[in-house]
Amino acid sequence: MTVSTDQHKEGKRDVTFRVFRFNPQVDSKSYFDDYTIPVERGITVLRALNYIKEHVDASVSFRAFCQAGICGSCGMRVNGISMLACTTQVWDMLAKSKEEGVIKVEPLRNLPLIKDLIVDMDPLVDKMKHYSNWVDSTMPESEMGKKEFLVSEEEFLKYDKATDCILCASCVSECSILRANKEYVSPAVLLKSYRMNVDTRDSMHDLRLAELVKDHGVWDCTHCYRCQESCVKSIPIMDAIHGIREDALESRGMKDTSGAKHAEAFMSDIEKKGKLVEATLPFRTNGVLWTMQNLLPMAVKMILKRRTPPPPPMVKPSKGIKAFRSEFREMSEHVKQDHKSHKK
Amino acid sequence: MKPFDIVIVGGGGAGLYAAMEAMKTNPALNIAVLSKVYPNRSHTSAAQGGANAALANKAKDDTVEMHIFDTIKGSDYLADQDAVEVLCSEAPKIIRELENIGTPWSRLDDNTIAQRPFGGAGRPRCCYCADKTGHTILQTLYEQCLKKGVIFFNEYFALNLSVNGSRSKGLIAMNMKTGAVEAFPARTVIFATGGYAKMYWNRSSNAAGNTGDGQAIAYRAGIPLKDMEFVQFHPTGLRKSGLLVTEGARGEGGYLLNKDGERFMSRYAPEKMELGPRDLVSRSLETEILQGRGFDSPAGKYIHLDLTHLGADLIKSRLPQIREMAMNFEGVDPILEPIPVRPTAHYSMGGIDTDNYGRTVMEGVYAAGESACVSVHGANRLGGNSLLDILVFGRIAGHTAALEARKFEPAAISEDEVKDQLAELRSSMQPSGHYERYGELREELGQTMAANVGIYRESSLLKKGIAEVAELKERFKKVRVSDSSDVFNTNLLQVLELKNMLDLAETVAAGAFAREESRGSHTRTDFPTRDDEKWHKHTMATLIDGHVKLGEKPVTMGRYELQERTY
Ligand SMILES: Cc1cc2nc3c(=O)[nH]c(=O)nc-3n(C[C@H](O)[C@H](O)[C@H](O)COP(=O)(O)OP(=O)(O)OC[C@H]3O[C@@H](n4cnc5c(N)ncnc54)[C@H](O)[C@@H]3O)c2cc1C
Ligand code: SF4
Ligand code: SF4
Ligand code: FES
Repeated sequence: MTVSTDQHKEGKRDVTFRVFRFNPQVDSKSYFDDYTIPVERGITVLRALNYIKEHVDASVSFRAFCQAGICGSCGMRVNGISMLACTTQVWDMLAKSKEEGVIKVEPLRNLPLIKDLIVDMDPLVDKMKHYSNWVDSTMPESEMGKKEFLVSEEEFLKYDKATDCILCASCVSECSILRANKEYVSPAVLLKSYRMNVDTRDSMHDLRLAELVKDHGVWDCTHCYRCQESCVKSIPIMDAIHGIREDALESRGMKDTSGAKHAEAFMSDIEKKGKLVEATLPFRTNGVLWTMQNLLPMAVKMILKRRTPPPPPMVKPSKGIKAFRSEFREMSEHVKQDHKSHKK
Repeated sequence: MKPFDIVIVGGGGAGLYAAMEAMKTNPALNIAVLSKVYPNRSHTSAAQGGANAALANKAKDDTVEMHIFDTIKGSDYLADQDAVEVLCSEAPKIIRELENIGTPWSRLDDNTIAQRPFGGAGRPRCCYCADKTGHTILQTLYEQCLKKGVIFFNEYFALNLSVNGSRSKGLIAMNMKTGAVEAFPARTVIFATGGYAKMYWNRSSNAAGNTGDGQAIAYRAGIPLKDMEFVQFHPTGLRKSGLLVTEGARGEGGYLLNKDGERFMSRYAPEKMELGPRDLVSRSLETEILQGRGFDSPAGKYIHLDLTHLGADLIKSRLPQIREMAMNFEGVDPILEPIPVRPTAHYSMGGIDTDNYGRTVMEGVYAAGESACVSVHGANRLGGNSLLDILVFGRIAGHTAALEARKFEPAAISEDEVKDQLAELRSSMQPSGHYERYGELREELGQTMAANVGIYRESSLLKKGIAEVAELKERFKKVRVSDSSDVFNTNLLQVLELKNMLDLAETVAAGAFAREESRGSHTRTDFPTRDDEKWHKHTMATLIDGHVKLGEKPVTMGRYELQERTY
């Protein structure tokens, strides 16, 4: 369909929503339905879907509740990226469409599909249970309600951002490890676990941490940053993941798990020689720059904590290692600064 | 299914507190929580401002007594004073308890729970976590329920009570994932299904599912609903969507300005200004708009909520959610520009009639939270008192049900009854000939309620509203559910919600028409004053032969005599 310039001027145009459809009762496989409707500027994707449901096809199924970006019900993929339909402007998405005037709407990934845009959230809840995503208070139940714990603003700020999470599962949908391994802990659950572990009112830090360092746990994360980039509440999820790792190294020691050892080898290698065992690490596929941005923060923090042994005097550096090293140092400084300003 | 000791309908703050407390009271009980959305999605998550408790962290001279008085006065003397006493004296304990189990409250310099001023309160006693208080309380309760191993039936839609004479046998509900209608035989049922203000549809701050399902189910089962005419309008809804800008924005120092740039609240509440009680501020906005001092736009007339003078730092640290919403839904950054607002239907004071223990008139049926009316809010709820209400009375209802459950015989629900329910659903899905669109009816319901049973009410408008609701009910019989699938049939569910709203709209309009006085949120332009002689009493709406019958119930008085309510 062509869009007249008149419509453009009025801030109103026809938009095609290409909606993922699947009804397990009748469909053997999924397909897409196109719905072309008039949309004004300022309309959210959720309002457009509501319009389709009320006026065109009542069978299109999706979840929505608060319609205000608070409840986390309406997570879905719009033009391939996971987000909340209720806070996403159609106009913004049109600008990013591959096909002019067409917006693709699909269910979240990495969770079992139920129908159309609805996925099953139970696996995520099960993981929250598995990793004890609750405060197990140090106060006995019989004492409760009598007095407050005194909590400093500083401590509150450690978990303040993490408690913004609305469990919309956008990060879950974007996680690169979950695509391969559905048992992986999940970014939102790591975030929640971190939030519990830095809360001084909680009594089960060690047990939770012990679970987090096992298989499918925190060491499986590739630091691809996709979860953080897609978080609908702009929560620095990677800080939580780094936080858990540092905590694991600090309180459980380097030799704790194969994951930790792997991380250690990686960190020392990268600083010493500027090259890596290519087969085992994401370096090759993602390139130097990517690794710098994504893995160095962890490395730097470890170095700052003097976990990494100083390089032996007689290593033969690879070509360009000087340049790489100086970049590495510069980067370390940045991360250090970043880290400081975050804590403010 | 094996009979439950307690089935809790609703996973908001009230339902989850009830579950937690019931487990604590008697861990041997078989307890289930059933909710049409995952509990953490419940509307409690939308409460931004905070919860009141006289902790005296901020104002050292605050007392429970002052909280009681503010609440009774705020209610325009329609609250039951014994219930208010329970509410306010339990408040400090419950807020501390939440703190003890992990709620991340914001903190004062001395590391105690932070408190801020809120409308209608004599002292800053509203406890908060930034502007995500409800969200963090709900998260905490959900986490604790998971910890305790509460059994959840998520995405189950309650349809009806199964009743035998004066006694409930349990609940009938639909599994949304399969479309199956299932029986939940239970010794006790607690309704904690939230409010009904969504019947004002686009002129409401509520979530799409705040359709008063529990109240409608109770009403159909013969349980009376109390004070349904009292619907609170929040002064500051976003102009386009009705979504809420919390009172926190005014608590932090925001101004309300008309188109002449005047802080018009000086005319209506010279002392409290923007922090006057909600009903008064809403009426003031509506008056400014009606008298032509509002701004005009295609999306309707509005007023400015100005935060620009508060500065970027304060807005970013204390009111981040508000800023995000203003940007997403109005395209306005409150750091730079005022936010366009107008009154929006926000809270339902009325609900299922209960005593101070959460009991209804039907044996084994309890209610708590916004779906119940104890009554602690009377004709007008104070900001920050509702979160408190759901926590305190959620806990009390859970505790009472846990103590009383084993008194009742285990119940059974026959298969025939379940089959009948299913058959009824199926038949409603296939009307022949001319049919109606549910979306249109829902829209029209919202419009007629806002226009005729809104902030300013009057006999002829109310008559019109009553007639229009009746007509909508008639048209509803021809609504067609065109999605024929069993799995997650949201089309069917929305139609069922509409039916509930229509049933309740009738009670709201009937109560508003009968109550020939102005009190709290209920303003009759034809009866502009409070009439204590005739109307210092609760209205009770009961369904008899398919129609609403109004009765009455006295208000429980206590220490405080009737006084004029001025601010
Ligand atoms: C925008 C906004 C801001 C607010 N801010 C504040 C504030 O700052 N301070 C304050 O004190 N109060 C505030 N309130 C009011 C307060 O949030 C609510 O009154 C309170 O959260 C209601 O809690 P509840 O547990 O009773 O119900 P809800 O949280 O609404 O929970 C209802 C539950 O019932 C379930 N349910 C409903 N129908 C069915 C059915 N048919 N079958 C199965 N389950 C069902 C739902 O799934 C949900 O789990 C605010 C309200 C709004 C709208
Ligand atoms: S950074 Fe880790 S948790 Fe986040 S998306 Fe990548 S692999 Fe998943
Ligand atoms: S971390 Fe962010 S994206 Fe992930 S579930 Fe929470 S809010 Fe959603
Ligand atoms: S509907 Fe609640 S977050 Fe979108």
